[in-house]
Amino acid sequence: MNTNSNVYTIIYTTLVCVLVAAILAFASQKLAPKQQENEKAENISQILTAGKFGTKEEWQAAGNAAIVQYYKDNAAVAFTVNAEGQKVRDLDIASAEVYGVPGLKAQNYNIKGGKPYDIPVYQFKNGITVVAIYGAGLWGPVWGYISLCNDLQTICGAYFDHESETPGLGGKIKDDPSFRAAFAGEKITLGENPFDIVKGGAPGGVLDDSKVDAITGATMTSKGLDAAIDNWISSYVPYINAVLASKAAETENAEEE
Amino acid sequence: MAKLKETILNPILKGNPITVLVLGICSSLAVTVELKGALVMALSVTIVTGLSSLVCSLLRKTIPNRVRIIIQLVVVALMVILVDQVLKAYAYAIDKQLSVYIGLIITNCIVMGRIEAFALGNKPIPSLLDGLANGIGYGLILIAVAFVRELLGSGTLLGYPVLSAIGYVNNGLVILPPMALIILGCIIWIHRSIDKDLQEK
Repeated sequence: MNTNSNVYTIIYTTLVCVLVAAILAFASQKLAPKQQENEKAENISQILTAGKFGTKEEWQAAGNAAIVQYYKDNAAVAFTVNAEGQKVRDLDIASAEVYGVPGLKAQNYNIKGGKPYDIPVYQFKNGITVVAIYGAGLWGPVWGYISLCNDLQTICGAYFDHESETPGLGGKIKDDPSFRAAFAGEKITLGENPFDIVKGGAPGGVLDDSKVDAITGATMTSKGLDAAIDNWISSYVPYINAVLASKAAETENAEEE
Repeated sequence: MAKLKETILNPILKGNPITVLVLGICSSLAVTVELKGALVMALSVTIVTGLSSLVCSLLRKTIPNRVRIIIQLVVVALMVILVDQVLKAYAYAIDKQLSVYIGLIITNCIVMGRIEAFALGNKPIPSLLDGLANGIGYGLILIAVAFVRELLGSGTLLGYPVLSAIGYVNNGLVILPPMALIILGCIIWIHRSIDKDLQEK
């Protein structure tokens, strides 16, 4: 048989492609439930790490079941909010329902396209509120979680993750604990530009509130993360304002009584 | 039989893919900071080179010569994606750490090199053994480098404190890629001084 004829080559490559595609589809279907379970536990462990309930390494050692259980025990309410700052729907805590990375990606399109969005808020029993962020780094998406203290304006902790940033440079948003630690205690500004990741630090080495130092050698990743935080936190601002207004009204009422 | 033994031992000793052929340097610099990552990478590459050599050897008489590189690439990519999917399901933390490099196995010269040089001209069983042996040869060097780097860089082995338990101060340089190159150079040097055949005149 002539294996070099055009017809043979075309039929052969087509068959190989179809066969390989079938094998991959089968494998992906068989492994999907286990993978989804892992991804969900990963998301929850990132939320918990941002909320300072433990370090990422501790969660990794604890395992999937322990992570999900801890979330169920300690989360108070979880829901999504829209551009008017109103609750849209509840996220079920008993089944540990959280937004996955694809869910954040979909909302990121809505936010950037000016469409109605529906973004998650996780509130814990100790008063900490965790919100999500999502955006573009240098090579791929970056995302993460920022936790806010009781006043909803002070950052309590943060955790970031990425798909394909350069290890040792942009990858530090995830791997360098000191970068993440710098977010704690910073204030967010309730406006268009809630937070800044700035280059070169500040005169005297002390940065103002709502600013942290960017990562050396990773300008594009730092800028991307900065844009992600700005876009998402400003999308949460209507909700934060609504909560602050209702809190102020409550204290006023209490004073009148 | 002697030939089979040669097929297995050659890639590990005299024809080691890293120290003699100098292939796969990129990943041996990148994934040798910790012993654990190196072990997983070694295992993944061994499985991928073995299986893709086997499959390509089974197909060798049917593959049209003009598209053979493309067919090889499809086979290697299939194996790599399967390894990635299995790790995602059963070793998620390791997969997250290795995901960038696992994608890079496809471009790892050892895999394609062994298919092109060996599997296309040999029977399936020797090809499988050749692939596995090359993976092992690659893995041994990876593990040796990672052993030194984790021990001297973080004072631990597989995450357990060894040197750090007796008051060793971690060496930041060992963690960085340049040190991997220096260690690799030392290994090549030792290998060549033991095996005189490898020295150029």
